[in-house]
Amino acid sequence: MQTRPLFFALLLPSIVIAAVFLFALAEILQYSFREFIPGSLDVGGFTWANFARINRPIYFYAIVDTFWIALLTSLFTLVMSYPLAYALVRTERNWLRTLLIIAAITPLFTGEIVRTYAWMLLLGTEGMINTLLKSLGIIDTSLTLMYTRLGVVIALVQFAMPVMIILLATAISHVNTDYEKAAANLGASPGRVFWRVTVPLTMPGIIAGFIVICAWTMSAFATPQLIGGGKILMISNVVYLTGFSALNFPFAATMSVVALVSAFGALAVMKAISTRIERGTALHS
Amino acid sequence: MKKLWIALTAAFAAFSASPATSQEKLVVSVWGGNWKDGAAIIGKEFTKRTGMEVEYITGGTLDRLTKAKVARNNPESDVTYTTSHVGYLYQNDGLFEKLDKSKLTNFNDLYSSADRGDYEVGVYSYIYSPVFRTDLMPKGFRIGSWSDLWSPEVKGRLSMPDFDPSHIIIAASKLSSSTPEDWKNGIPLLLKLKPSIKAFYQSDATSQDLFKNGETPVEVMLSINAYHLIGQGVPATIEIPKEGAVVGIGALGINKGTKKLDAAQQFIDIALDPVVQQQICDFHKCSPMNKKTTVSPELAKLPGIFTTEEQWKTQAIVLPDSTYSKLLPIWKAWFTEEMMH
Repeated sequence: MQTRPLFFALLLPSIVIAAVFLFALAEILQYSFREFIPGSLDVGGFTWANFARINRPIYFYAIVDTFWIALLTSLFTLVMSYPLAYALVRTERNWLRTLLIIAAITPLFTGEIVRTYAWMLLLGTEGMINTLLKSLGIIDTSLTLMYTRLGVVIALVQFAMPVMIILLATAISHVNTDYEKAAANLGASPGRVFWRVTVPLTMPGIIAGFIVICAWTMSAFATPQLIGGGKILMISNVVYLTGFSALNFPFAATMSVVALVSAFGALAVMKAISTRIERGTALHS
Repeated sequence: MKKLWIALTAAFAAFSASPATSQEKLVVSVWGGNWKDGAAIIGKEFTKRTGMEVEYITGGTLDRLTKAKVARNNPESDVTYTTSHVGYLYQNDGLFEKLDKSKLTNFNDLYSSADRGDYEVGVYSYIYSPVFRTDLMPKGFRIGSWSDLWSPEVKGRLSMPDFDPSHIIIAASKLSSSTPEDWKNGIPLLLKLKPSIKAFYQSDATSQDLFKNGETPVEVMLSINAYHLIGQGVPATIEIPKEGAVVGIGALGINKGTKKLDAAQQFIDIALDPVVQQQICDFHKCSPMNKKTTVSPELAKLPGIFTTEEQWKTQAIVLPDSTYSKLLPIWKAWFTEEMMH
């Protein structure tokens, strides 16, 4: 009985923060239904016009691009991170483990802007990648990597990899290697052991990593802003353009509401799919 | 226990002393970086003349505007340094005090474009104009008119700001023999420019990066950034098209509810002093607003530095702040929806 007051006392800060956050969200919601008055900081009366405007091509494509980029980033991050996380957990060489930890974690200590600027130097027309490919005679004219979806995804993958590696390494470290040994003793090849035993056993980590990176990427701002150069727009960039450049806060609020609702929708769909996958891999049987 | 009480009393005395100190300071709201240093030129002279210290609070154009709106009659700052058309939003929302122009001793010496109405006054000006890399564009390439941005040489090599499309929209309306108010007449021309635009920049920093690394060898650029790059050795030419360059004006206004109204008036008056104007213009490489300002020959010869009425008349496109602030959101929405995808 005595634990209950303590439980609520510990919960109180979270409740206060959640209440403030909900209040802010409610304010954004009410702004999204208000009329924009050019040349004024005040907003007008109730209107549906902001939501009607969303079906214009640029906003529709910004929403589609946001999901497409988030999915691609999550997928490539997973593919790139899994071998690193696997090596990190399974290597018996301490120096290699230390090296991998440094390589995986160090990027977390540099900010998003710094890392994005570094990618701008690499991806530019006269950047390192193009210069290298030209000097090796692989290409004659520079590849266009900046201001493209590919460029944005490349930078976001690098940005997301440390988090994915941490999540996957945790999942891989919890795998009981006896299962893998048993499979190998029964004649399974190393590849078959990996695909049929290790990967299914690490599925919770894979799913968690995929969802975390997807949710994280959906709200990406600085990377698409700088690498996309206004040619690739995600929802956050549109919110910035309409709110902070055009001072159209009602429409910026509308786009924010759309972003929030679609992110929750996407995460619910992913959760349903992941539950099906987890059941399919018989982890809960 | 006694020591604790002494420490608490000392801490209380220290904290309660700080507001009294800030009461004696004039607080100026300004952008960060170089812009703050430019404002400090005025502040230094102000302190010299009045003995009052100046404190600067910095931020972006819009977050300062939002803070002023939230603080309203209890402003964080006494004076605000902003762009004149944003200043219009301050005054339109009742966030600026009416200026007492009789106390602005330099007011009669100003170019007419410095007069931004009853609530703010222009301190310096800059232009947005086409700039190009002489080493990356074909030999003999020039921009005598805004229409040259539509030439085949510029295709896929142009950048411009995403936060303010007014310059290219005003240019297109002029090229379509129209006025900025009837800007829609320039839409067909603007749409033809889409293939020429390689990227949009979001800040002074990205503007300079795009130009410096050659990604976009032609840019609609802030003159101050162009001079800075030229100073760094980037081979660039800034052109004033025959239709004129679009002028931006840095302006000062007094926050409504300030308790230091007289000091704020004096700060603005000092900003318009010819000697202070000269220092500001040398520092930012911008045009003065006081006709009596002595501008060095090196600065005066730069394109976009206006030192005569004739130059203002023939080379500058200046829009009324009310028009600018009302049309900019409409331009911005159209530009985002039609030009940026």
